[in-house]
Amino acid sequence: MAENIRTVEHATCTFCGCVCDDMNLTVDLDKHCITKAENACVLGKAWFAEHTIENRPAATIDGREVGVDEAVEEAARILVNARFPIIYGLSDTTCEAQREALAIGDLIHGTIDTTTSVCHGPSGIAFQGVGESTMTLGEVKNRADLVIFWGGNPGEAHPRLFSRYAVTTKGMYIPNGKKDRYIVSVDVRRTQSTPVANLFIQVKPGADFELLWALRALVRGRRLDPSVEERTGVKLDTMKQLVERMKTCRYGVLFFGMGLTMTRGRHFNSGALLALATDLNEFTHFVAKPVRGHGNVTGADNVVSWTTGYPFGVNLSRGYPRFNPGEFTTVDTLSRGDADAALIIASDPAANFPKAAIEHLHRIPVIALDPKATETGKLARVAFCTATYGINVGGTVYRMDDVPITLRPAFESPYPSDQEVLTAIKNRVRELLNKKAKPKEARKAA
Amino acid sequence: MSLTLALRVAPQVPMEAEALTFDRVADLSESDIAALPLLHGNEKAAVGDFFKVSGRANGEVHLEGDLGRVKYLGAGMSRGRLVIHGNAGMHLGSAMIGGEILVKGNAGDWVGPEMLGGRIIITGNAGHMVGSAHRGGTIGMRGGEIIIHGNAGNETGNGMRNGLIAIGGNSGDFTGVNMRAGTIMALGGLGWRSGAGMVRGSIVSMQPAELLPTFSYDCDYRPVYLRLYLLYLRELGMAVEDAWIEGEYRRYSGDSVELNRGEILLLNRQKLS
Repeated sequence: MAENIRTVEHATCTFCGCVCDDMNLTVDLDKHCITKAENACVLGKAWFAEHTIENRPAATIDGREVGVDEAVEEAARILVNARFPIIYGLSDTTCEAQREALAIGDLIHGTIDTTTSVCHGPSGIAFQGVGESTMTLGEVKNRADLVIFWGGNPGEAHPRLFSRYAVTTKGMYIPNGKKDRYIVSVDVRRTQSTPVANLFIQVKPGADFELLWALRALVRGRRLDPSVEERTGVKLDTMKQLVERMKTCRYGVLFFGMGLTMTRGRHFNSGALLALATDLNEFTHFVAKPVRGHGNVTGADNVVSWTTGYPFGVNLSRGYPRFNPGEFTTVDTLSRGDADAALIIASDPAANFPKAAIEHLHRIPVIALDPKATETGKLARVAFCTATYGINVGGTVYRMDDVPITLRPAFESPYPSDQEVLTAIKNRVRELLNKKAKPKEARKAA
Repeated sequence: MSLTLALRVAPQVPMEAEALTFDRVADLSESDIAALPLLHGNEKAAVGDFFKVSGRANGEVHLEGDLGRVKYLGAGMSRGRLVIHGNAGMHLGSAMIGGEILVKGNAGDWVGPEMLGGRIIITGNAGHMVGSAHRGGTIGMRGGEIIIHGNAGNETGNGMRNGLIAIGGNSGDFTGVNMRAGTIMALGGLGWRSGAGMVRGSIVSMQPAELLPTFSYDCDYRPVYLRLYLLYLRELGMAVEDAWIEGEYRRYSGDSVELNRGEILLLNRQKLS
């Protein structure tokens, strides 16, 4: 048994947006599993341990096992015949697969959305409306002396963000690590992340916008009604001290999470934080960055953006991209009953979307690609079992700071990759569209 | 007999119908109108595939049926009157220039986005983003009137530059956010964070509201222009109480994060006779 052990150095963990690329994996090639993941955090260890080769059919139609080619044929037929097809997910697969999904969306004049729309989609809207003062995590490691975490709990959700980049790590201009940094945590309650903070600010639930707005007013030296203390639960003196610290630091960072983006106010909450960072650049260098969840959700934003010009919620019905969250985002197109077919890639909306959206998924033909058995896979007309990215499949993913990283797979899978399945669907869609002889699609295919 | 388009086949997926404006159909025959293009999902269709067309436009065009899935009705319209007997879908009167749209029902999100002139009247409720800028844009409606007898959703008048939005019921969160100028009158209540980022303009409500800490109290007074507006709204059929016309208003100025030249006027209910 010991003879068939393989080690993979500098492998990449694709569990969360940190995309740590310093994993040393020990792989049992006989059992098709990873027995040791050196350097991985608790989440990464679970990610590597749980992805083995499962005994599932590579493809099913209505729960009946079929060949991959037959499933591809049925998937292509569904997509070509749909009038308002949606493509959703994409955040847990490679950029190469995402590109193929985008190409399908372009061919069928569909609506393309990613899991961004249910996590940092509001930040995407805010980036467009307010702008973003941004950075890489390497800059944070080497320069940041004031780090503020707002509405997130990286200690549990992104454990290595603290040790690799933002809190304890030593950097070029931060030689003493944590001693050289001042850490602030803003949240509605104490979490596992709170103990690392030099200052914890407990804001009342639903008052993030008011607190951010008050900080903006203080930074700009504007009038502020004293009722702000009652509204936010934060003392005015505390706000003033924080503002002074922000204005006088050498390099400040605002990391923000879904506690900000998915509470009442959404894109305005993100926008207020981004605007605060912009205001602070009158005094010092200040940046802001959303702490992203899925392993390649940032890649999805990048691929959709470089292909269509917009990061998510993009409609191609007219043959050109239009961006309108609320109109073209998947929760909305499903809840309103707009979509008449769905291609779901590496996501499980049937497990976590609102009831109305899930009910509509039951009414329309769904094509699902996922390495694991999911609720979406169960209701899907066509389901593919695919190889896991980063473990069985190579390719490119983007870290949360928009840095692309190459994957080093650990062992082979008998299942096709998302990219292979999507490429096959794309080619068959193109053939069917040519047969259908729709003028626009025929021109495009030629 | 005025021109009537009666929905005979309900769209299965969202439909986009910029062709259904007074300007486009006013001078056409029934057969020419039936041949006008629509977009049904990702497929091109014709008006006649979904609507029965009868009569000729004599200053008015009537649309009948539940058009809640039909978007861009009256988009870019510059003259005439469009009467919708039922619900209307998103982007009603988008970038409208003139004329009047009357909806005898509810309207979806984005009523009159980036509107330039004319009047839209909704007898029921409207969705989010009434008279707002499109996503990515900074300037919302620049003129005209939007009259909603029921409630409106969030971000009413986002980036509004000019004109009037009147809401008979409640207005949602971020009413008048990033407003440049113009007037929003929410005769019912205001949602959270009204006027956030507003530069100039007026937001009026007859109910108490919790304002952002970047708004500050100025005075109590009886603005003359408000009487004129309220009398005008009463003429348009909105339920305006005498006490509102004669009443005193508390004036707050903001948003101090921006220029601090906007105002929020709240009816002083303690001084109602």
